[in-house]
Amino acid sequence: MAKIDRSGEPLLSVQDLRTYFYTRSGVVKAVDGISFDLHPGETLGIVGESGSGKSMTAWSILGLVPQPAGKIVGGKIFFKGQDLLEASPSEMRQIRGSGISMVMQDPLTSLNPVFTIGSQVIESLRMENKGPAAKLREMAAALLAKVSIPSPETRLHAYPHEMSGGMRQRVVGAIAISRSPSVLIADEPTTSLDATVQLQYLKLLKEIQETTGAAIIFITHDLGIVANMCDRVGVMYAGKFVEQADVLPLFDNPSHPYTQALMRSVPDLEVDVAHLPSIEGQPPSLDDLPPGCAFAPRCEHAFDKCDTYPDTFTIAEGHTSNCWRHSGDYSVAD
Amino acid sequence: MTTPSQINAAPGSDSSYEGPLAHIENLKKYYPVTQGMIVRKNVGYVKAIDGVSIDIPKGQTYSLVGESGCGKTTTARMFLMVEKPTAGQVFFRGKDIHKLSRKETADYRASVQAVFQDPWSSLNPRMRVDSLIAEPLVTHQHLSRTELKKRVHELLETVGLRSFHAERYPHEFSGGQRQRIAIARALSTQPELMILDEPVSALDVSIRAQILNLLKELQQNFSLSYLLIAHNLATVRYMSHQVGVMYLGKLVEEGPPSAVFGDPKHPYTKALISAALPAHPTNDREEIVLRGEVPSPINPPSGCTFHTRCPVAMDICSTVYPERREVAEGHRTSCYLYTETGTASA
Repeated sequence: MAKIDRSGEPLLSVQDLRTYFYTRSGVVKAVDGISFDLHPGETLGIVGESGSGKSMTAWSILGLVPQPAGKIVGGKIFFKGQDLLEASPSEMRQIRGSGISMVMQDPLTSLNPVFTIGSQVIESLRMENKGPAAKLREMAAALLAKVSIPSPETRLHAYPHEMSGGMRQRVVGAIAISRSPSVLIADEPTTSLDATVQLQYLKLLKEIQETTGAAIIFITHDLGIVANMCDRVGVMYAGKFVEQADVLPLFDNPSHPYTQALMRSVPDLEVDVAHLPSIEGQPPSLDDLPPGCAFAPRCEHAFDKCDTYPDTFTIAEGHTSNCWRHSGDYSVAD
Repeated sequence: MTTPSQINAAPGSDSSYEGPLAHIENLKKYYPVTQGMIVRKNVGYVKAIDGVSIDIPKGQTYSLVGESGCGKTTTARMFLMVEKPTAGQVFFRGKDIHKLSRKETADYRASVQAVFQDPWSSLNPRMRVDSLIAEPLVTHQHLSRTELKKRVHELLETVGLRSFHAERYPHEFSGGQRQRIAIARALSTQPELMILDEPVSALDVSIRAQILNLLKELQQNFSLSYLLIAHNLATVRYMSHQVGVMYLGKLVEEGPPSAVFGDPKHPYTKALISAALPAHPTNDREEIVLRGEVPSPINPPSGCTFHTRCPVAMDICSTVYPERREVAEGHRTSCYLYTETGTASA
């Protein structure tokens, strides 16, 4: 993994982002105080379980929070120095696609079944390029070739249902990079793919990153993908980052009890284990969170202090964890 | 708590039988592909399973791995008797399940139960938990109301839920708890074989280990046999005694998990393992990126069906399907790399 230059201005800077949903059963704090910086060429992984707010972080950055229930109630999102929360709808339309674009989870729902692949790729190209249809078709075919789709010219006439899952996801990737964005958000892009096809797709994303220099935000629940794709990782639980670190320190020295327990509870293909330590209990419901640390009810280390939300403690340079165990008041047992 | 002896006293069990609890022999299932609106014409077959033989010993887990469309689920459906095989036989306690009497068939259905992937769609949202769990019991055993209630409470406890949960509806539970309800329902008829079709892949990562451990514990307590279908290889390694790797309806490699995952022989198994991402950033694994995707099972490639994507394919591979060979004790594979013909021409 190439060393990322973090000395310059970050490309994308999210500061204390809060996205809340106002529902009949109460306020759901989907994203509750998320901060991170993303530098050019960097891959940030956001790991968490379903409902931890990782997808909503992405939607918030793109200004696509479902209305009217959802609202960004606090924080700032700077993209190349511009505050996206202050941007007008037409400015946001410009940024989506050419500045920040997204690859969704399921290519079956993110592609329109009644239009050909060609017309969907061209639709996105037309936002920026004026010119004869033939030229746009050529550009579209070149894009499909870039994501390693065999015989791209004929594929332009195909409909989504005529392609396999892996090929469809490549088309979604082609549309996402069509306007050369500098940030690519990939929201679980491989969950609907088979294992061998997943590997192909991850390689493709890396190649795209190397050729275009784009920064990638990788949203996933799979620690294996994080270990292999990301430079930096944020672990999310109940709308908050509980731990942030570079990928190596995170796997070598996981510090938050949730990260530790999560890593222990995933079986390993390399070794035989007799018993897998599991995390007891259920993930909390976001409209009824405990007052302090949301993981405390499931945490084996929980103590009285956990009733108030812990500060952010620095474990090492660039490695932070939100757990009172690092405050010095609690002697770490293990 | 239900005692193991209660479970073992399965109806119609024959104590003298000593072979594997269940096995299939050279099983084939072809689905016809038809064309034409008025006159249906048969234009070919989808070979969902094409000559698969496996043994499931008592109290053990046999796992099938492979990509979507490789025939894992069709194999499981054969055990559940939802479909008849095109050729080949399914044996349970040494008897062909399609030659059982009516009474024996009913008993068989009670002793084979299934847990499915998605507990959001496998549990009827309009039924209370107690009737969901009691439903198989009402069908298979004649119990009084009080006995039923007692059984339901026992079962809830067995899977780690509380008896007051019996009066609730599925929507009041989280995914992990729902899967526990589905397991309790499957256990209700005291089965000997459970078909687990991706039992944890729809659940949150932090919940998966709980359910896997519960399944292991139940297996030990009741000496259950499992046929596990999963795409996550690490899960399979943790759960199984035997693993079978399937590709396009054929079993390409089979053996104990330590052999299949520790010393894989078939090129497809190697690729599959390489595609399972290592758990630590510094773990470098041999990277085998396969070309293309799984071909259509309607017109599978000739000879070894994997030869179109195989990184080490030889001329012979496109001719005839390779025979199954034992490469180590209990570790078998079908690949020309391990036959004399193959090594000679390589």
